[in-house]
Amino acid sequence: MSKTDHDALDPLLEARLRAELSAVRPPSSPPRYTTAAAPIRAWRFAPVALAIAFTGILALTAFAATGSPNPAVWTNRVETVINPPSPTPSSQSEPAESESPVAPTAVPAHRPPAPPTEGPEPTGSPEHESPEPTDDHESPNPSPSPANSASDDH
Amino acid sequence: MPDDYSPGSREDFDRLYQVAYPRVYRTLTALLSDPAAAEDCAQDAFVQAYHAWSRWRPDAPAEAWVHRIAVNRAISYRRSAKLRTVAEVLRRLGRPASPPDPAEHAARSDLLDALGALPPKLAAAIVLRHYHGYNNREIAAALGVSERTIGTRLRQAGERLRQALEPSFSLEAPSAFQADSPELYVKD
Repeated sequence: MSKTDHDALDPLLEARLRAELSAVRPPSSPPRYTTAAAPIRAWRFAPVALAIAFTGILALTAFAATGSPNPAVWTNRVETVINPPSPTPSSQSEPAESESPVAPTAVPAHRPPAPPTEGPEPTGSPEHESPEPTDDHESPNPSPSPANSASDDH
Repeated sequence: MPDDYSPGSREDFDRLYQVAYPRVYRTLTALLSDPAAAEDCAQDAFVQAYHAWSRWRPDAPAEAWVHRIAVNRAISYRRSAKLRTVAEVLRRLGRPASPPDPAEHAARSDLLDALGALPPKLAAAIVLRHYHGYNNREIAAALGVSERTIGTRLRQAGERLRQALEPSFSLEAPSAFQADSPELYVKD
């Protein structure tokens, strides 16, 4: 035993300590390590736990976005967002068909194109369009007005 | 002490257990002043050591390595025991405490009681040095601190032990303990 270090304890006390600790008899119980199972390391289940947590968050988000717990609805919603339905030709032709009966009757062939501010108005009925040519000063043959102006001049 | 152990070898660990378990148990008895707790902590320490046996490096003595695990286990036990004591005091608040068992009180040594009252790190330094015969370098390796810290701890522990035993200090060992041949740790 090395005694080069400084002895901080009284030799008598050291002798008592040795005597008393040597008198302590360890119990003869079987070693516990022979029956102890290997510790379960939590990090081994980390990928599984991570995948479960990710799936749960995804399901909650999808439920909140669609308002439906049905995964089929979620799939439809995803497809709708990724590939929005292209506008069909029938939907474009509908306004043309609705305007087609109006356009030939309301707008004469010789009528000049309407100013840009009057763009939305052609959707209206022909009754609304009929007074417009009277207000239009560029109209070539407003029959009453030349007569009236000529009579006024004379 | 043979230190030709191979890390991971079951036979070598069995051999280490046969040699080191009594010594570790006595160390923990001095630290905890409770034979049942000492046995529990010693067994837990060997279970922990067994699971880490393949990672043990032969550059430190295997018994010192197990001692390190056991002392840490005893420190954890003392910490949780303090919490249990506080909880017990709160639970029995207003009621008289049960008197101690006279037979158990008579069988206990004032020296071991004084050691158990010391902080575990100080008590471990005293036991490893003055019972197991480790030098400061070996204690430092066992407890994971510097040799300078071990010197300080030994001085503090010796002083506090003397103060605690001042009224009853005597050369005579109590009759309840029969002195056996001391197991000296011959290293140098």
